[in-house]
Amino acid sequence: MPLIHVAGSEKFVFEERASDELCAIASKFVPLHTVDAAAELAIDPLTYEVIRHRLSAITDDMGDALKRMSGSVVVTDCNDFNAAIADEAGDLILVGQYNMQLAASLDMAIKWTLEHRSENPGLRPGDMFFCNDPWIGGGLHQNDASVFAPLFYDGELFAWSGAVCHQVDLGGVSPGSWSVAGTDVFWESTPVPPVKIVENGTLRPDIEDMYLRRSRVPKLIALDLRAKLGANNVAQQRLTQLIDKYGPRVVKAVMKKMMHDAEHRLRSKLRSLPDGTWGAVAHQDGARAGDSNIYKIVLQMTKHGDKLTFDFTGTDAQVEGFVNCTFAGVRGGIMPIILTMLCNDIPWAPGGIYRCVEIISERGTINNCTFPAGIGKASVASAWATQNAVSECVAQMVGTHPQHRKAAMSCCQGTWDLALLAGVDQRGAPFVTMLCDPMAGGLGARVDQDGVDTGGQMPIPMGRIADVEINEFSFPMLYLWRREEMDSGGPGRYRGGLGGSSCFVPHDSPLHGVHLVVSAPGKALPLAPGLAGGYPSATSYDVLMRGTNVQQMLAQGFIPGDLDEIDGRHEVLPSHVETNMAANDVYFTHWQGGGGYGDPLRRDPHEVALDVASFRVSPRAASDVYGVMLKTDGTPDAGATEARRRDLRRDRIGAGAA
Amino acid sequence: MIHLDDNLMLTDDGAVMCAHCQTRLGENSHEPLAHAVRRERPSRDAGPGVHADPKTFTTREIVLRQLFCPGCSTVLATEIVPRDEPSFRHWSLGAKA
Amino acid sequence: MPYVIGVDTGGTFTDGFVADHLGRIASAKSPSTPPEFAVGALNVIDELAKSLGVTTRNFLHDTSYIVHGTTSTLNALVTGDVCKVGFLTTKGHADSISIMNAEGRYAGLDPDQIQNMSRTNKPPPLVPRALVAEINERIDYKGAEIVRLDENEVRAATRHLMSQGVEAIAVSFLWSFRNPTHELRAREIIAEESPSIYIALSSEISPRIREFARSATTIVNTQIAPRLRGYLIPLENELRNRGFEGALLVMQGSGGCVKAREAPRHAVSTLGSVLTGGIVGCTNLGVALGHKNIISTDMGGTTFLVGLVVDGKPVSSTSTVINQYTISTSMVDVHTIGAGGGAIAWIDQGGNLRVGPKSAGARPGPACYGAGGGQPTVTDADLALGIINPDNFLGGRMKLSVELARDALERHVARPLGMKVDDAAAAVYAIQNAQTADLVRKVVVNSGRDPRDFVVFSFGGAGPVHCANYAADLGASGVVVPLGATAAVFSAYGLASSDIVLTVERSQPDNFPPEPARVKQAFAKLDEELKAQLQEQALPFASVAFEREVDMRFTMQLAEVTTPVAPGPIDKDAVANVGKTFEAAYASLYGKDAGFRDAGMQIITYRMRARARLPIHPELPHFEHGDRRVKPKNMRRAFLDVRRGWQDTAVYDYRDLGRDDRLVGPAVVETPTTTVALPEGCTATLDQLGNMVIRYADAI
Repeated sequence: MPLIHVAGSEKFVFEERASDELCAIASKFVPLHTVDAAAELAIDPLTYEVIRHRLSAITDDMGDALKRMSGSVVVTDCNDFNAAIADEAGDLILVGQYNMQLAASLDMAIKWTLEHRSENPGLRPGDMFFCNDPWIGGGLHQNDASVFAPLFYDGELFAWSGAVCHQVDLGGVSPGSWSVAGTDVFWESTPVPPVKIVENGTLRPDIEDMYLRRSRVPKLIALDLRAKLGANNVAQQRLTQLIDKYGPRVVKAVMKKMMHDAEHRLRSKLRSLPDGTWGAVAHQDGARAGDSNIYKIVLQMTKHGDKLTFDFTGTDAQVEGFVNCTFAGVRGGIMPIILTMLCNDIPWAPGGIYRCVEIISERGTINNCTFPAGIGKASVASAWATQNAVSECVAQMVGTHPQHRKAAMSCCQGTWDLALLAGVDQRGAPFVTMLCDPMAGGLGARVDQDGVDTGGQMPIPMGRIADVEINEFSFPMLYLWRREEMDSGGPGRYRGGLGGSSCFVPHDSPLHGVHLVVSAPGKALPLAPGLAGGYPSATSYDVLMRGTNVQQMLAQGFIPGDLDEIDGRHEVLPSHVETNMAANDVYFTHWQGGGGYGDPLRRDPHEVALDVASFRVSPRAASDVYGVMLKTDGTPDAGATEARRRDLRRDRIGAGAA
Repeated sequence: MIHLDDNLMLTDDGAVMCAHCQTRLGENSHEPLAHAVRRERPSRDAGPGVHADPKTFTTREIVLRQLFCPGCSTVLATEIVPRDEPSFRHWSLGAKA
Repeated sequence: MPYVIGVDTGGTFTDGFVADHLGRIASAKSPSTPPEFAVGALNVIDELAKSLGVTTRNFLHDTSYIVHGTTSTLNALVTGDVCKVGFLTTKGHADSISIMNAEGRYAGLDPDQIQNMSRTNKPPPLVPRALVAEINERIDYKGAEIVRLDENEVRAATRHLMSQGVEAIAVSFLWSFRNPTHELRAREIIAEESPSIYIALSSEISPRIREFARSATTIVNTQIAPRLRGYLIPLENELRNRGFEGALLVMQGSGGCVKAREAPRHAVSTLGSVLTGGIVGCTNLGVALGHKNIISTDMGGTTFLVGLVVDGKPVSSTSTVINQYTISTSMVDVHTIGAGGGAIAWIDQGGNLRVGPKSAGARPGPACYGAGGGQPTVTDADLALGIINPDNFLGGRMKLSVELARDALERHVARPLGMKVDDAAAAVYAIQNAQTADLVRKVVVNSGRDPRDFVVFSFGGAGPVHCANYAADLGASGVVVPLGATAAVFSAYGLASSDIVLTVERSQPDNFPPEPARVKQAFAKLDEELKAQLQEQALPFASVAFEREVDMRFTMQLAEVTTPVAPGPIDKDAVANVGKTFEAAYASLYGKDAGFRDAGMQIITYRMRARARLPIHPELPHFEHGDRRVKPKNMRRAFLDVRRGWQDTAVYDYRDLGRDDRLVGPAVVETPTTTVALPEGCTATLDQLGNMVIRYADAI
């Protein structure tokens, strides 16, 4: 069925409003605590620093609480979560250094709640709200389930705390809620707009049951829900102690000042950069299983004075599939790049930073879709692609500045290589999990050095992968290897960071196999472009080998080190597929690295030789891409290298030039 | 004179020049790479990093599209894109025209 | 055998403290002697004997035990002077130590650094790829053998690594903590190939799930252990030669000691050795003085260390990050924030005066030592400013040269900047104070706490010269300078007053509630093990306290909450109470309704701890009232505060002072081991233990 507009869905859309206007609406029903500009001026520097750091310590504590209380490896070991504190109007004062996509959308959900829930059911002390509706905010796809809570002090709504984490399964056609065959949102988990899940300090069982009923792993989801309640409890308790000590006026003034500081410093940095327009495009191959088309997000970023405009005009229309994202995805694509490349030395107060940014995006496009377009993979599909385009434009802009250029990186890991495992675990319990190994993606090359190998990814500064042992302990799998992959970093004068690969077999499941959902674009073309002529990173590459002899090999005392060593049927997987793995099947997943920077023929031959010696670059790539010829002892052959590079240069602008 | 990236410089008179061989690549910063040599090749020419043939996944032709300095052959821009698409990777400096 | 000795070997000085069963105490200080740190340790024992008026032989013969805090392992890691290690791991997983779970790019960095993402990097590899050998072998999550150990491969790898000149071999296989047979067999094979080489197994060094931290911990352990062994064995032998028959104990980072013979097996646990004594001392002295929140600042010659005591307990953690590698070892959190008195003053490329972080160390030391150090240091500035008395350094045992200090300041600071020597010295002093305050503030504030809720304890030979300045800048409520008997050997006092703490644990996941018999049996086994270990210490303990605890969680969780188990018999009610205690602890951590009883609960680990008090516990003598006529021994020109410049300054001899005496700045107090500077606006009183308590009416 084609995407047909759903009448009545308009209500569930985040509308951007000035904070004053929003406060005026909400304050009819709930008293809001505010301060004047004088309070901000009265703050002395030591008090400012102490409270600012305390707020940051509170978000750290929230993150620690989430990690310690959750039962999902995605959260406990891979840091796919975040916590944030917002002022009374829902403007974010700071976000943790975990998944910034998640935190960059929390303000939307809080603001929507202030606008639509203040009157009925009302906002009162001891309340907490649940939301996983990406059109409203609080996350980028339905698996990003958020819980946020108003903090009351002396009867006034003083601030908000919020926690978001990725939930492994909230229903939908496919396990893990990644419905690869889906054409619209009705194949997926039903979004839940903000609902009061904790009332007067007590979790409402009726609401909780309504939420849990949709999941394949309701107990795990219930545990994680409590982790989010706990994180908010921690924040509420610590914030209250802080206000008790310094007084509401001082604490609130610090909060406002943090946002103003960030805004002023970002504006002054923008003024130091040249005005101009930068264009970029980001692709995705396949919007659902069986789809062989390629979709584009087009960006023109304009910097004028102290303002940045992101114009996505020209982006493809929303598609039948599960890769679209809502407006939360556009913001989630923009904010992580602004934070890391422009606010690398500016406090991360998104509430202030957003004031410098304008977004032009047409509703109904692949990265600003309308209901009921499918968004099950939004966070790592169109939002991620948006981020790639933003990364390219911002890096080029800051790259023109003699100092700020050092904050630039070529595009990091072009896409998320999803492998979702489901079935029955070694203890006989149903399980679903997202394999988070691709969280060790390659970072983009920098203007003065290589990108970091298996260093992480752009949206999660503190991204992390689980130890092999944690994955094998938690899920019915056995790794043959997990390693960094040769040639996966984009070539350049500075090389992009390497991505990696994991290769595993099902192990010890009573079903003798596992269900596998794969969703990884970037196979028809690489998705992490380079800068300044640098090459993109490698393509994603996922192979399923069926009916192999791997069990015999292990029994004979040999662990295969490469797919070539294994006998079996070799299936190169398309971007999106859902299938089963039998006991003798081997799955190999190779995720992307980062883009390169500059001309690879200008790379120091000694660096290339070191890369070859440490298995980061193949001898073939050394010769064909870098033009470096090595002697038998592995050191560069200067004469042969010079000749090879001369030939390659001649070939570049010879036949075929247009 | 401003260094725009590893290869490009903006001269005081507003032209864009190759930082390695001083060839003028564009007379102004609105069409900065007007004189660069453009070339398209099959995407797998980019090296072993492009693993499988794109035809395995899509019916659209995928190309390695590059811009080179006509003076010293330095690669100035690299992208791997569907051949039927124009390049969206334009940039220009100064207030928007 | 009445004596207990604490010996703390820092980068610059080695401190000694002794107490006996009659309440007599003495202290001594002597320069450290890198790289042969043992010489300094032996020297300080000679000094202690001298101050007690006995021969070293008699003194050592009558010593029941020596608690030693050593910098040797940490120093080796920090300076990179570690031995060349080969690493054996499971095939397919050699890259684990370079992937570093992706966290290696940011682990241990400040939030400001993490935020500056494009400038973050992973550290150099712990072991170069060429010295990592992958072995065909595999154990699974439940300890079952999936692939047998390829013994030939282990043998070949050992030969290859030996040919590459490795001095030690670390082995970390997947799931070895569940089933160590492959690691144990690998050790046998390696030992056959090379009988004397040091070998560490991950299943013994860090028997915990999560292979990256286990491997990193095992490798670091292997890098430092041979050096530690090469240090402790000769030291112990020499002590025996000199008549010592007691026990040589080494302080661990966790705050408890182990026998020196056992220490190299678990070298990694001594990484925090030298950092711990000061915190233990602060905690113990804090109890005596009624301070619960303490910023411990230890400014020695080479380093400046900061630790926190909150609610009477040292802030500590179960893992630490060194060079961005996560190392699983219990450690008191001590931050090295810069250089101490040996910090070198220099001019950077922009023509700005900088102080530290490079230090002149113990050798050659500051210019004024006259040991060939031509670089001006903080101590040289302190001397040039009239704060330190050249004839009273180390109680007069070491003569300082004002000329050499001024000459170094002249050549390296004053002349290049076109200023007078006095002004150059003042600038070095002011920069050192301000940057110390900034760095300490960062440690306290980054931990989410307010420095105004703390008192500063200042020790280390160089600290009291600067503490009034930086503590006032911090806004701390006051400063305590331990000047009584512990004076400038405060860490050594901490060592001598520490307890033996032994912990045993067993991972035994049980659904809750387990049968009481099962719990009883688990603790009975631990109790047996613990008592055997106590026996092995072969020490007469004054008292031993046992604690039992379990780590519990809700089913499906991956982190546990440590839950105490009350003393008394284990029956159904006792087990039920453990569950209640866990739920209450959980609720107090994360709030009401945060627990999830429906998921079920599990006990993961059973643990017992013995806290054994040694028979001699140093009692600090009470400080007597003086004659109440607080009189300076003389006046001299000194520079104590940039805002006031050179002033006539009263100089007091600490030995002339008594309890409750009150001093007003500007003043300098000379003690046998250090010098306290009291800028104008400060007042100081002496407490019942002879410590100086500084307050400032007029904050700097």
